[in-house]
Amino acid sequence: MLNIISKTKYAYVFSGALTLLSLVFLSIWGLKFGIDFTGGTLMEIKFAESVPANQEVEETLRDLNLGSLTLQPSTNNSMLVRYASEDDGVNQTVFQKLSEKYPGAQQLRVDFINSAVSGELKKKSWYSVIAAVIGIMSYIAWAFRKVSRPVESWKYGVGAVVALIHDVLITVGMFSVLGNFYGIEVGIPFVAALLTILGFSVHDTIVVYDRTRENLLKGSSKEKFPDVVNRSLNETLVRSINTSLTVIITLLSIYIFGGESIKYFSLALLVGVTFGTYSSIFIASALLVTSYNLQKS
Amino acid sequence: MSIRQKLRLKFIAVIFLALVSGLIAYPEAVSKIPPLFDFFSKPKINLGLDIQGGIHMEYQADVSEIESAKIPEAMQAVQDVVERRVNAFGVAEPTIYTTRSGNDQRLIVELAGVKDIEEAKNLIKETPFLEFREETTIGAEQQIPEDVLSSMNEEAKKKAEDILKRALAGEDFAALARENSEDPGSKDNGGEYDFIPRGSFVPEYEDVVFNKGLQNGQIYPELVETTFGWHIIKRIEIRGDGDSAEFKSAHILIAKKTQPQPQIDFSPTGLSGKNLESASVVFQSQGLSEPQVSLKFDEEGTKLFAEITKRNVGKRVAIYLDNQVISAPTVQNEITNGEAVITGNFTIDEANDLVKRLNEGALPVPITLVSQQSVEASLGQASLEKSLKAGIIGLVAVLVFMIVYYRLLGLIASAALLIYAALMVTIFKLSGYTPWSITLTLPGIAGFILSIGMAVDANILIFERTKEEVKKGRTVLGAIEEGFKRAWTSIRDGNVSSIITAIILIIFGTGFVKGFAVTLLIGVLLSMFTAVTITRTILRFVMGEWVENKLCLIGIKK
Repeated sequence: MLNIISKTKYAYVFSGALTLLSLVFLSIWGLKFGIDFTGGTLMEIKFAESVPANQEVEETLRDLNLGSLTLQPSTNNSMLVRYASEDDGVNQTVFQKLSEKYPGAQQLRVDFINSAVSGELKKKSWYSVIAAVIGIMSYIAWAFRKVSRPVESWKYGVGAVVALIHDVLITVGMFSVLGNFYGIEVGIPFVAALLTILGFSVHDTIVVYDRTRENLLKGSSKEKFPDVVNRSLNETLVRSINTSLTVIITLLSIYIFGGESIKYFSLALLVGVTFGTYSSIFIASALLVTSYNLQKS
Repeated sequence: MSIRQKLRLKFIAVIFLALVSGLIAYPEAVSKIPPLFDFFSKPKINLGLDIQGGIHMEYQADVSEIESAKIPEAMQAVQDVVERRVNAFGVAEPTIYTTRSGNDQRLIVELAGVKDIEEAKNLIKETPFLEFREETTIGAEQQIPEDVLSSMNEEAKKKAEDILKRALAGEDFAALARENSEDPGSKDNGGEYDFIPRGSFVPEYEDVVFNKGLQNGQIYPELVETTFGWHIIKRIEIRGDGDSAEFKSAHILIAKKTQPQPQIDFSPTGLSGKNLESASVVFQSQGLSEPQVSLKFDEEGTKLFAEITKRNVGKRVAIYLDNQVISAPTVQNEITNGEAVITGNFTIDEANDLVKRLNEGALPVPITLVSQQSVEASLGQASLEKSLKAGIIGLVAVLVFMIVYYRLLGLIASAALLIYAALMVTIFKLSGYTPWSITLTLPGIAGFILSIGMAVDANILIFERTKEEVKKGRTVLGAIEEGFKRAWTSIRDGNVSSIITAIILIIFGTGFVKGFAVTLLIGVLLSMFTAVTITRTILRFVMGEWVENKLCLIGIKK
């Protein structure tokens, strides 16, 4: 049997460092929000021949005075054009200019969001995150209501929530880095990914807690609490790893083969699920033991 | 019924479910058997705009001018108008609905497979336009007095006779035609028409060609009068006979002058929907109660309408909606009270419809486009192919993993996973026949692929538990039963959290998020059924005493 609980210190240091780093990155760079949250236009243009240089396109669009124009070459001879304007008329002029300069250019995609709508999406995203956290916390507190010795049931809830905040923070921190260095934007899909990570992380933690509960209810009174937790962790270890593996296999498949539109969505899930598995093994249960030790001393 | 019999029945049910859902999910498997293929290929997955290409638009309606009680009605009116415009545009199954977001009134329009997105947008944006037009006659001032006309025709006939004489005297027919013929179709060709079937020209003309004993190349020695004028006809050649005969001829036409036909048209009067206060359905008070449409104009409209009716007594005034005439009643006398009644052979439905449309024209709610997502069809198709590829690779990888790690148990779980995938596709396809039609979007596919990875979680929980129980000394069969029993609480509790997040995403989410969350939710619920019930049924059926000595089959080293 692996003595996982004895390694708690290292796990706390590792997770603490990553979480802190994520917070630092977030406070320095923040996240690079997509048009879902800022309002503006995203246009994907496919060129008949090769993609022209960014400067050349910028030159073409210069007289339109587009605010915060960014150009990003993409796969298949196409280019992503983003700018702050949220006027449909401007969008039409932009494309007209481009198709005059580059005959045969095709508009693959035009998304635009007015700032009123994006503000609303932002608000809704917050609501959904808050609702998810509250919903999950109350569910855990309810599910573990029968276990109160030697650690109160609400502490299971707190443990699970701390673990999932850890997973989510690290994922967000990672996208702060990606946004700063690679210009990867976060939008509504990212929020959906975060909520899915919440669900998955808790799912994983619950399985471990469930086993702890079962072992506590039927176990002998001689076995100490930290040992019960450690035994439960060991018993569920293969399951945790295998389940995560199958999920990670499918996510990798989406990330590698699934195409641009869902690539970063699956990347966010990939990061979150990986850390979710790690935290349910090394953090969530360790927190129970730590709180037990504090209680005793 | 013995336990064994019951089990056999359940197993047969599982096989049946697998077969049916498999065929619905992938009817191509029986493409060689047409009746079966036709039957199973009928249900289709409803693909989202991001896959089939199309446009999603959100319009904000400016309802600041409208009393709050009347807002729903106004929004409904806007929706109806847009619906009509879109239908005129010929989009298959447009989705149009109104929604509220805080105090904002929104109109959502989703058009799939639209080729020209900008044109569709322009069509929608156009405000409903109602206008009144009056009759005008074009060409009335160009009438020619009868005596002038007849003397003109006398001259024409003389000219024709003169040309006929010259032609008969041997002058070049082609040159004469070029110079004098008033038939633009043959003039430049020397009056000549190449072979045409009999019956193509006016009978007088053909009568000369066929029945007057003309030889090829001979000119008919008299003028031939038709409605077009006077013809000098030369037969060139005839081939074939009876109904299939064709003839080649030449002629010189001196046209007849006729009176220009007066044309009736409607021209705008300046009275439009903005002058209309309201329209309603009224019933004639006497006799049969035939529905009529009553109009009430505002002050400016009343004045305009009085002027229009005054100058058009006995003539028609047409009511146009979006440039199409919807009614053209005849004015009986001048109307000064600003009220008009349109009588016509309306049914009650027609009258109601007209009133609704008139009120729409009179009550335009300005709308602005606030959000749009459009995807070109080829891009959607490419994304679909990529994500399907990702799905198949992911599925196969999970199957391989399960079989390698859990051997026979894994094989059975794999069968259950395949049934799961087929059932998911079946649910997508059959949902189209229910009020809860599910639209499959790219994020939905991502959710589906992710759910494949999560679906085996329940199996992994059960199998790990089974292995543990075997190691504790239980028989394999006993351990399997115990594994199912013990793992159930974990499966249930674990999935509840996924269900909570999925439901929250469905409640708060729009577009992308909803598509993902719906598939995830269905996936989680369905996988609990396939991973537990179906796996257990197959396992119980397949497993027997023989397995006790073959622990390697379930992935346990001795």
